[in-house]
Amino acid sequence: MKNRVAVSLKVNGELFELFIPPWQLLLDCLRDDLGLTGAKRCCIEGQCGACTVLIDGMPVNACLYLAIEAQGKEILTIEGFGKNGELHPIQRAFVERGAVQCGFCTPGLVVATKALLDSTPKPSEDDVRIALSGHLCRCGCYGQITDAVLEAAQVMTQKAP
Amino acid sequence: MSYLRRLPKFEYLAPRNVTEACEYVAKYGSEAKLLAGGTDLLLIMRRRELVPRYVIGLKNVPELDFIRLNEDGSLVIGAMSTCWAIQRSPIIRQRYGFLAETAADIGSVENLHVSTIGGNLCGGLPCVDLPAPLLTLAAKVKLASTRGERIVPLETFFLGYEKTALAPDEVLSEILVPPEVLKGGGAYIKFHDRHMIDITTTGVGAYLTLASDGQTITDAKIALTTSAPVPLRVKGAETALRGRALTDKLLEEAIELAAQEALPRSSWRSNKEFRLELIRTLVKRALRQAWLRAKEATPPVSSDHWLVHPIYSQIGGMH
Repeated sequence: MKNRVAVSLKVNGELFELFIPPWQLLLDCLRDDLGLTGAKRCCIEGQCGACTVLIDGMPVNACLYLAIEAQGKEILTIEGFGKNGELHPIQRAFVERGAVQCGFCTPGLVVATKALLDSTPKPSEDDVRIALSGHLCRCGCYGQITDAVLEAAQVMTQKAP
Repeated sequence: MSYLRRLPKFEYLAPRNVTEACEYVAKYGSEAKLLAGGTDLLLIMRRRELVPRYVIGLKNVPELDFIRLNEDGSLVIGAMSTCWAIQRSPIIRQRYGFLAETAADIGSVENLHVSTIGGNLCGGLPCVDLPAPLLTLAAKVKLASTRGERIVPLETFFLGYEKTALAPDEVLSEILVPPEVLKGGGAYIKFHDRHMIDITTTGVGAYLTLASDGQTITDAKIALTTSAPVPLRVKGAETALRGRALTDKLLEEAIELAAQEALPRSSWRSNKEFRLELIRTLVKRALRQAWLRAKEATPPVSSDHWLVHPIYSQIGGMH
């Protein structure tokens, strides 16, 4: 049984050549091998959404995905949001709407929001609640989070030509 | 439920097609485990309930990821189709709306993107949602191996708790659903604590076929989730419905028969008595909804909405 295998992952547009155990979770790989600690290690069983990342544009729990299975796919983590110190409109809306208290659930929520707005640029409040139903916010900011997503949607659709 | 540890060590195999997957399971048999979405298996492995030496990952087998309509109108779903793909599929929404609704309500959006129909069936669990609607549609499954293929009715696929007819050298490759009937309608209604996340406490799928008079039930199928060691058809209730129109009196008769046939157990999620009460209530609601949809001939499913969420306003999230 091989303890380590060669795995190449494309994360936030950058290609990484890794030598990792085949049983390594994508979450552990991102956090421990690549130092991308935005995706949070929390329930580790797909209940809380804190580890959400996008794989080929689809939101998935990185705690229920083997790193080895993410080869050849585009992985986007919260670190891939915002460029040159400038916040992504979703991040800005979260800040402005007070949707962040302790901030632990925020990276997962921002990533899941991007997936929602990519497929549904003008979501209804129900769409938002369903899209984020897999995320727990211990601070209970659900109202502000919903407001922030709706505001981000508005800002982003205005910007688009 | 025991403590979740890190994943045990295993060797990872990545077949590129069904033939290769069959060769792997033929070679390694019960030493190997097929990994579909992983939402269940990875947790089982972390609890050390299963420690396979080989894990055969199916995520990158494009051959298993499709939804197709045959010329005769029958539906074929590749085993690695995700719940997301099923609930978004125009074919399934138009023809088997309640199957799309069931898939949409299985879990969070993150979960829908990885959980698959094949994984849902092969776990052999009575608490997963897709078997019930598929049983009411008289679905069959195709099992492939190096010995050839065989097609098994889904009803005979479930042998017991976590036990299926899948041999150690077989791969479930396709789910086959017969063509839709002219005057048919289905519904799946479930009860669970935390909406979108929790495992189903009890669920009921129903499919009714009506005669051309739009009243007489020519065929009825009812299947229950988390009501027995296997996803269960309640045939006494089905027989009582045939040849009659759905009246309140008939509904009462049917729900009592369904409750008699069910074998729910008490668990930390709910006790047996509550499950029996749920079965009565949900069978009634599912039959009513299936009846209305059968009368309207084509199951209504809004195609412009982002997600189908029929249960949202009906049950669930009751706290």
